[in-house]
Amino acid sequence: MTDASFLIGLADATVSASTVLILAGLGELISERAGILNLGVEGMILVGALSGVVATVMTGSYWIGFAVGSICGLLTATIHAFLCISLKADQAISGIMLTLLGTGVTTYFGQQWASAQFTGFPDRTLPVIGGLLVEIPLLGPTVFEGPATDFIALGLVVAVWWLLTRTNLGLEMISVGEDPETADTMGIDVFRMRYLAVLIGGLLAGAAGAHLSLAFNGIWTNNIAAGQGWIAVALVIFARWRPGRLLVGAYLFALFNSLRLRSQSLDLALGPESPLAGLLNPVIEFLLNPAIMSMYPYIVTLVVLVATIVLRRDDDSAQPAALVQAYSREAD
Amino acid sequence: MLVDIEIDAREQTPSWIAYGTPLFAIAAALAVSVVALVAIGVNPIAAYVEMFLRPFGTVATISNVLVRATPLILVGLGVYLPMKAGLWNIGAEGQLLAGAIVGTWIAINVTLPQLLVIPVILLGSAIAGGLWAFIPAWLRAKWGISEIITTLLFTFIAADIQLYLVRGPMQGGSGGFPQTELLPAAAEFPAIPGTRAHVGLLVALLIVVLVYVSMNRTRFGFRVNFVGSNADAAEQAGMSRYRVYLLTLVAGGALAGLAGISEIAGNQSRLHASFAPGYGYTAVPIALLGRNGVFRMLLAALFFALLFVGGNRVTVAMEVPSAIIDIVQALVILFLITAEFFQRYRLSVSIGRRDDGRSIRGSEVTTDD
Repeated sequence: MTDASFLIGLADATVSASTVLILAGLGELISERAGILNLGVEGMILVGALSGVVATVMTGSYWIGFAVGSICGLLTATIHAFLCISLKADQAISGIMLTLLGTGVTTYFGQQWASAQFTGFPDRTLPVIGGLLVEIPLLGPTVFEGPATDFIALGLVVAVWWLLTRTNLGLEMISVGEDPETADTMGIDVFRMRYLAVLIGGLLAGAAGAHLSLAFNGIWTNNIAAGQGWIAVALVIFARWRPGRLLVGAYLFALFNSLRLRSQSLDLALGPESPLAGLLNPVIEFLLNPAIMSMYPYIVTLVVLVATIVLRRDDDSAQPAALVQAYSREAD
Repeated sequence: MLVDIEIDAREQTPSWIAYGTPLFAIAAALAVSVVALVAIGVNPIAAYVEMFLRPFGTVATISNVLVRATPLILVGLGVYLPMKAGLWNIGAEGQLLAGAIVGTWIAINVTLPQLLVIPVILLGSAIAGGLWAFIPAWLRAKWGISEIITTLLFTFIAADIQLYLVRGPMQGGSGGFPQTELLPAAAEFPAIPGTRAHVGLLVALLIVVLVYVSMNRTRFGFRVNFVGSNADAAEQAGMSRYRVYLLTLVAGGALAGLAGISEIAGNQSRLHASFAPGYGYTAVPIALLGRNGVFRMLLAALFFALLFVGGNRVTVAMEVPSAIIDIVQALVILFLITAEFFQRYRLSVSIGRRDDGRSIRGSEVTTDD
């Protein structure tokens, strides 16, 4: 395998692998912008992934599967919204509960669907201009050919940015995450706005899960999310709660995920004539061991998370000011 | 017609609610889990009898519960202690794995006088677990980086290291399975005579008492409780949040590490790819159920030990997926935090108009008919 084709393959795999992080990350971003931290992303992804497969097998349509998966993600998020907004529960522990519940329920009911056969999203190009775009060297087949969910995710990055910066709804959502008391005084229904944000977050996490099982893997397996929900949570912090930076972050993390899957075909060992071969080859072999490589995305997440927070400017106020704070009318 | 729901903040939680909450949470979780059992065609009554009554059948089955309880008590403490300081050690599973790996390595590779073997193994595991929690603890104390995310990422990393080791450098025994060789006899925790339970249980109970004393009778415990209930006020009173965060989370990691080795040296005799069925995550509902006192946490650990033993029984006897355990424990958390709302607020629903202006208006639902 030549280096060029390795790079193209890697870029292609990176773009594909980023979609689940983009979808789930955008959902978490919206929820947090409204002041509600949802650590149940992993659980909602799993619910979306399994319900998407079940609906696809039953109806034969992957579009219905995708819709059902997204809606089941939304329904899962409703639990979190009720607990945190209406009952003012601790957001961290409620989200962790959601992840445990999603993992438990999908493992419990998922066994019988593990070998289910279905037709998932095929690779395709965009209508009309797609044929031309694919002709672009390197970038073309990498970005402009893939399952429809890849394009939906990219479209949603723009849509969420537009929602949050250019629409009244988005600005009201942000205001309840920054200063709910003032927003309430201005006549914004804080509870309704927060519910909406959490439910959209669940919808997108469910979509991420349905994409994972219906388009990316093409099969349901237990614990299919494999920690990506948690990476999405970290990604939102890295992105400083901005959709554009989220996209960059998603590519970065997806790159390390793909590196592991792709590196088996890569021979990086030094030739025997190299004086350092004896010293470095065991190190290279260790670093390329699949078990070792599978921890890279987590290490990268950690390093990037720490760097983002440590290097922030003191006057920086990207984090929604009322994040994790329950709201009660007439403060008690 | 007007349905008026009023929410009043309680000044004091009635004691029957405070004591009843954990029991309510468990009962409600089991009631909802009936849905999961019925959905796969299992008689829920028969399943619950198998899960919660049959394990009390003989001394041998009761001791199975105690064997399960040993790591759960230790790792439960590993979440409980940081929780008292206001931290969520969600990655106790990773610290448990670190303790298991290092303890197993010492047991297999280090030759020591007989009397020193088990103490050194315990010490090594505790240090390993503590070290595994140290970086998240420092990041939280110094930079305020969420310990939830960092301890979890460290758990994923520990799981990968464990898989790498049991397939590679530490792989042993016959057949090339992903496991280490058996621990030497000197490293095995001796059994408590007449049962399968082992000295790890005594160690765990001793530590429960130690934690009780240090939390309730020492200045350290006072500081932890103060920081946990109001970190800003504690800081103003001259207490170091930094030290409390660092100490409790690292100590929690050490306890989780002990849980790891006690499961290996006391029960399974070797480290293998899937030796820990998520004890570190079960520790979260255990610590929550017992958040009002370490002896209640002990009871919670015993309940979840029973759930694990019973869950295995219905998996074998009735082909109920073992994930039923995960569902129950998530639901326990769900109903606990639901019930906490009722500890803090009084809810009164009145039909018809009522407006005395005293209470906090929650929401008004108007229906047309």
